[in-house]
Amino acid sequence: MLSLRGVHAGYGGGDVLRGLDLEVAEGSITCVVGPNGAGKSTVLRVISGLLPARGGSVVLDGSPIERLGSAAILARGIAQVPQSRALFGRMTVRENVLLGGYLLRRDRALVERRYREVAELVPLIADRSHQRAGNLSGGQRRMVEIARCLMLRPRLLMLDEPSLGLDPRSLAAVTGVIRSVIEAGATVLLVEQNVRLGLGMASHGVVMEGGRVRLQGSAAEVRDNPEVAELYLGGAPGGTGRPCAAGDDGG
Amino acid sequence: MTRRSRPGTTQGTAGTVPVGWLRRGAIGLALLTLVLYPVLRPDAAYPQTVLLMAFLLAIMAVSWNIISGYAGYISLGHSAFLGLGAYTAGILSVRWGINPLYLVPAGGLVAMITAVAVGSVVLRARGHAFVIITIALLLALQVCAVNFAGITNGSDGITLPLPSWPRDLQNVPFYYIFLALLVATVGFSAWIRRTKFGTGLVAIREDEGKAAAIGVSTTVYKVLGYAASAVFIGMAGAVYAYFLTFLNPIGAFSIVVSVTIVLAALLGGRGTLWGPVVGAFVVQGVSELATVQSGATGGRLVLLGAALMLVVLFLPAGLVPTLASLGSRRRGRGGAVEYLDQAAALQVRPLEVRQRHWPDAPADAGGRDAQPLLEVRGAVRRFGGLVAVDGVSLTVAEGSVTGLIGPNGSGKTTLFNLVTGAISLGRGEIWCAGERIDRLPPWRRAHRGLGRTFQVTRLFAGMTVLENVVAPLPQFRWRSLAADAVSGPEAARARELLDFVGLARFADQAAGTLSYGQQKLVELAQVLMLEPRLILLDEPAGGVNPSLVERIAAIVRDLNRQGITFLVVEHNIPLVLRLCDPVAVLSAGRLIAQGPPDLVRADPVVLEAYLGVDEAGFEPASGSGRGTTGESG
Amino acid sequence: MAQLVQAILLGLLIGGVYALMASGLTLIFGVMRIINVAQGAFLVLVAYLTWWIWSRTGTDPILLSLVMVPLMFGAGWLLYHGVFRRIRGSTPSMSVLLSFGLAILIEGALGLTAGTRFRSATPSYFDESFRVGSLALPKAQLYGCAAAVLVLGLLYAVLNRTWAGRAIRATAENPSGAALVGISASSVAALAFAIGTATAGVGGAVLAVLYPFFPASHYDWISRLLGIIVLGGMGSLPGALLGALVLGMAETLTATYGSLRWSTLVFYIVIVAVLLLRPHGIFGARLREDG
Repeated sequence: MLSLRGVHAGYGGGDVLRGLDLEVAEGSITCVVGPNGAGKSTVLRVISGLLPARGGSVVLDGSPIERLGSAAILARGIAQVPQSRALFGRMTVRENVLLGGYLLRRDRALVERRYREVAELVPLIADRSHQRAGNLSGGQRRMVEIARCLMLRPRLLMLDEPSLGLDPRSLAAVTGVIRSVIEAGATVLLVEQNVRLGLGMASHGVVMEGGRVRLQGSAAEVRDNPEVAELYLGGAPGGTGRPCAAGDDGG
Repeated sequence: MTRRSRPGTTQGTAGTVPVGWLRRGAIGLALLTLVLYPVLRPDAAYPQTVLLMAFLLAIMAVSWNIISGYAGYISLGHSAFLGLGAYTAGILSVRWGINPLYLVPAGGLVAMITAVAVGSVVLRARGHAFVIITIALLLALQVCAVNFAGITNGSDGITLPLPSWPRDLQNVPFYYIFLALLVATVGFSAWIRRTKFGTGLVAIREDEGKAAAIGVSTTVYKVLGYAASAVFIGMAGAVYAYFLTFLNPIGAFSIVVSVTIVLAALLGGRGTLWGPVVGAFVVQGVSELATVQSGATGGRLVLLGAALMLVVLFLPAGLVPTLASLGSRRRGRGGAVEYLDQAAALQVRPLEVRQRHWPDAPADAGGRDAQPLLEVRGAVRRFGGLVAVDGVSLTVAEGSVTGLIGPNGSGKTTLFNLVTGAISLGRGEIWCAGERIDRLPPWRRAHRGLGRTFQVTRLFAGMTVLENVVAPLPQFRWRSLAADAVSGPEAARARELLDFVGLARFADQAAGTLSYGQQKLVELAQVLMLEPRLILLDEPAGGVNPSLVERIAAIVRDLNRQGITFLVVEHNIPLVLRLCDPVAVLSAGRLIAQGPPDLVRADPVVLEAYLGVDEAGFEPASGSGRGTTGESG
Repeated sequence: MAQLVQAILLGLLIGGVYALMASGLTLIFGVMRIINVAQGAFLVLVAYLTWWIWSRTGTDPILLSLVMVPLMFGAGWLLYHGVFRRIRGSTPSMSVLLSFGLAILIEGALGLTAGTRFRSATPSYFDESFRVGSLALPKAQLYGCAAAVLVLGLLYAVLNRTWAGRAIRATAENPSGAALVGISASSVAALAFAIGTATAGVGGAVLAVLYPFFPASHYDWISRLLGIIVLGGMGSLPGALLGALVLGMAETLTATYGSLRWSTLVFYIVIVAVLLLRPHGIFGARLREDG
């Protein structure tokens, strides 16, 4: 469904993604893992159009999307739950979720319908609809963010480190919601720091390091591969564990 | 034989230009012309008056440039100082019956005192508060001048004595007085820019947070800058009062004059030395033309307003820098530098670490059992509902290279920022060398010997590499502030440090043109300028080539051997394990392990923190060779 | 005692009008971080237009706001796209410079076209008052306040019940979050700017009746407005309301018990005091800490 070929992207000086190739099949749940600085979040930002790619292509259902703006990509059905600061703290939960349907705002009835569907899938929404989003705990916020994305019934739902900063109980609740979404048939691409959790939910696993894909396979294969542990604490064979600007040795 | 390219004219670079002699010749010629003009054309009263008004505007624009160009704090009420100087001279000369020219120093003094008083209260804060307050100050002074009629004669104004020289000299003496003041002001501004103080001002403009981290006492610098920007205007104000012979509140505290000052400096080039002068002459000339043509004040205002808008929208850098960059582009300068002798170019000179005498240092510093240099006790820091640092207690022994690792979101960077003072501590204490530092502003911590580098380098792009390394202030001493940034002992020390990191040949290049790895090295040189005891390195190996990583590691070892303690945050685990001992591990805002690198590496708790636990608390046997437990972390 | 009540009442009435005038300014800042120092000049411009039409047709000035609002809305929208959008990424100081230039431009243009005499629109109720017991409620102030309350109510409704309003609030609070749900930052900014200038359409019309004005009056007005939004918190509408009421009362009390000449100084003192002691005002968002 979605394929990235030879993607280069970065912030400021060097490139974070250095020739990345990635495939996401329709209906799959792909989990991307890798040490810090591997470029995992950057991949999601490039796909969402928040960061322009400096090279390579991003193709959705056969048409290239790497030049589109973020609103256009959202309209094509790719939604992202970012790592942090996505909610409007001063607005209520209901308003936050409704804003997820911003692109559908001309059809009020449709928005209301979607809101009800989403509230069923994520019970928290109905329970706390008039509470200020800023007063919610981390896990609750995460669930509101996911609910907001669901308003558009995205074809591809991307989650950037959904478990980040969550205590075990919230974690269980959030993973429950993610599993419900998966059961409802969405394609999911998630980036996870928590390797075991992420691969536990996924059907496919991708290991990134140094801006490239190092290992791929079914989630079970990747999870049981001892090289993954090596990557996190020992660096890849011959690598420094960090992306770097080519030829820059300060000389 | 190495060839070095001449530096380009970046904004704020102290006087270095591609065609130095040509420019100096042009300035000298212009000055000579201006000096001789009244002698050659004694009867041209009108042009003389236009010129002397241009001098006055230039004095104000050059002064304004000190706080608003160099330091970047825009003042929209700067004519307040002109009015203060004018009223001081007016009131006192009428009251005491003396020639207002004797009151010129008084005008400057009153302006300076006002600036210090207002500045020390207002400049504690950052951001847009200052520009609003300068407007309020000007308008308030106007109201006060009207209402305190007992002193100022209110709206009726003050009439000063007529000039004491013979009638046929007309305005010629004023011409020369203003010209002399202009020369003095330009000299003053040039001198400031050349000093360590000047580099500090530019540092504040470019990145105030980073300036604070390198020891620049930002509040003091800003107040000094504001005062420096007021004093010559106050003096000129006294002369101006004498020139006008009549003062009234609206004219003396005129917002239109304030706007004209800003327009002149902006048009000519904010932050450069000669830009405000050029801009002043242009603006004054056009203004005269406009007055002659239309006459009505409305027309002048329309022109002024439109000009200001156009400059802000289309020429924000100003004429002088734009023309200079066009010129250097035409000559084909700028860009990459070639070196014919690579070996000599890559040479690194050894450095003798300069240590200040610390009164509380033990007799034999160093060694693993030395007392802790840095102690964090129960630090807690929240961001909204999220607890980033949750009761962390950490010690860094003197003479060690301590590593700090942890997965994303574990709170390492927050902890760093708490130690250096970039963010405030919620609960807990931070002690450095037996002194509590968590209530001190960042520059005081730097003065106590705490330096840091940044994950994403923060150099001052508007200055040369050398100026960047001169800017840090190890201790607040008035003499250091006045030290020359291009030659002299401070600059010599800076060159030594640049030699140490192997970047001496880039000294005169604009810092923004360096590569990422080179910038990291310059940051290190900046930190060393602080004569630190403890250096916090924030991901030194982030985004750089393996060979540069090795070089940085070698530098760290060398400096450590000479007595500097390090605390290193890194994601590059192999580097940390090679370089650091002990290593501390953070996870979810808590310290979960601390000890020698090999033990930490093998600790299952650490592995778990990095790889995570699944919902059921299961950890499949992988890599670490131990069985599963049912407990989650 | 009656004098005190009278002063407070008058202060509240005037505060209502101030709140309307300040609402535009704080809205623009909240969404775009632009300090539109020309807002005072917009008020004076509208006042002149209102006066001009009233002096020729006799239409009630306050009713003329119905004409002024769409006019100013369009002008604001054009101004944003033509001028202010270009400095979107710059510091607030640059926006101050730019809008200051605009203010002076407007002042000069008004001076050229309408002359520099004081003007005032004086409909029939101009110096009449309603009598309630021993209190006198000046009609002009009352009508002006009523208009202000009405418009503020409309503004509240737009911001809280329409999609456009939600988009504006979302962008003001969290621009990246807004982008994530597909809100276009530049159309929201243009809309907010246009609404901000549209409020001047009503504010200026009321101004024409309540206060004499001439081209340079905008300095007085922008000082008041800045004082209000600094006190209430820049970017906060409830803050603008509260700040306006407080400062309205402070001004009338100073004028009643102190001296009229000093009453404008109150705003400057407030600006300085608030920016020093509590820079984000009463309701303003705390600025993010530098990392």
